[in-house]
Amino acid sequence: MTPPLNRWLNVDVVTLLETLTQYFFVILSAPLYAGILAKLKAMVESRNGPSIFQPYYDLLKLFNKVTIIPRGSGVFFKYMPYVLFGIYSLIALIIPVLVPVPIYLTASGDFLSGAILFSLATFLKTTAAMNSGSNYVALGASRAMSFNFLSEGTLITVFIAVSLLTATNNPYTTITFLTSNSLENISLVHIFSTLAFFMLFFYETGKIPLESSGLQELGMIDEGLNYEYSGKLLAVVKWSSYIKQYLLGSVLLNVFLIPWGLFSTSPIFLLDIPVMLAKWSILIFIVVIVETSLAKLRLFRVMDYLAIAFTFSILFLIFVEVIP
Amino acid sequence: MNYADSLIYLISSLIAVSAFYIQGQEFIVSMIRGQSVQSVLIAVVAFIIAWEERSYDFIILGALIIILRAFLVNYFLQKRIPKQKSYIYEGKVNLSYLFLVDLIFIVISVFILYSVAFSGIVLHSFLENSGNSGVLVFPLTLFFQGLFLIASRRTTFTQIIGYVEEENSLVLFAMFLLPIPIIIEASVFLDVLALVVISSIVVLEKFTHEPVEELRG
Repeated sequence: MTPPLNRWLNVDVVTLLETLTQYFFVILSAPLYAGILAKLKAMVESRNGPSIFQPYYDLLKLFNKVTIIPRGSGVFFKYMPYVLFGIYSLIALIIPVLVPVPIYLTASGDFLSGAILFSLATFLKTTAAMNSGSNYVALGASRAMSFNFLSEGTLITVFIAVSLLTATNNPYTTITFLTSNSLENISLVHIFSTLAFFMLFFYETGKIPLESSGLQELGMIDEGLNYEYSGKLLAVVKWSSYIKQYLLGSVLLNVFLIPWGLFSTSPIFLLDIPVMLAKWSILIFIVVIVETSLAKLRLFRVMDYLAIAFTFSILFLIFVEVIP
Repeated sequence: MNYADSLIYLISSLIAVSAFYIQGQEFIVSMIRGQSVQSVLIAVVAFIIAWEERSYDFIILGALIIILRAFLVNYFLQKRIPKQKSYIYEGKVNLSYLFLVDLIFIVISVFILYSVAFSGIVLHSFLENSGNSGVLVFPLTLFFQGLFLIASRRTTFTQIIGYVEEENSLVLFAMFLLPIPIIIEASVFLDVLALVVISSIVVLEKFTHEPVEELRG
């Protein structure tokens, strides 16, 4: 029997619930992983460390603070954080970051459009930063751009590599394919695109071999763009970057590293939440090991690191065309 | 694709990665060690083929590669590094742009050569998908990577390593393509060894030089 709500709204209630669960889970849980990472890192360094909810407290504090708009800044600067938040929200609905079956709005884009939306967000963020009118931010923007041309290339190439496995550009098909054909997980293209994406994840989320938030001016790449933001706008920008970290990490986990373990039937899809938390704890564990054992690269070495990731992605994209 | 096939592809790709590793190094000691690792990987490929084909020739070949390439070439080259200057390195290696140029060079050259000359070749070997010569892309990549290494650097050491890398690619090529009599392989190895010994003396004479310098007269 069809439920009455279904008949009335002409919607699939389960899909609607899945959509809402995925969206709100992504938006609300995104800061948590940064908190857990900071806490774990502090524990490894024999410090007490902040609470795992510290990112939430920070966001709350920033939302209550006064926003100062620098003189000479433009409209872009003022409104772009909200657009960024919107773009990341859209990506959260079109790629499999929680539920492994298509939900509402999934059809609005494929894997490549996800990659292009990430690039768009980076572009808009840089444009907004340039629009602040500050010289320091302009320096930061030029620094970010000199690295981003390689990272965006890698991101798009890696997504193309994944789509080559299934000859489709749909991430949901890729997940189904990888879970049903486990041997494909050790195919060359998959291994090397995973490696390239893993390297990219560290760059895009500002992890330690590449970027250290402790060494503000010396090592900052992405942070340089947020220099003039304050108050509510800074909170939105920070929240967007937490969501970006969640999205990239979840794609890395669900499509590249561990495609197994997600549930799609209702109401069991709610079990995906603990599954994703468990998967993320594995990723955070790996990140903590890397962050505490490696030294930060010098700034001009970041480009070399990204060039290696790009080389991997391109070379094995082409190798796989020749090799069955 | 069976497990041996997958293993061969994986190790071959690691060989390609080792070639890029050598290209990316500034320190000569790391380059020499990278070359050793590359040779050991090629020997592992020889052992896998020996196991699959039940052929003793490939075992001897693998052992020769390990002894001559991984140890002796390494030994002779490391011996030539000045004692007080174990840190010598080639400065001004702009890795990111070098890698991009390298990538363009390799992709274009390998795939033109492969599609023109090698795509129709039927392999003799156990590789399950007989008729497909895709695995030959790896030795071709290694070959062009060796060429690029010679062209892109000024240090004589690096150019010798580039030469050894090219020889490595030929060995790998021969292993995949057709069984060469072991005596020829062995003589090629000894030939290269002698060449490395002689050219390492050149290192003492001239530590760095531009590739076209000698042609000017």
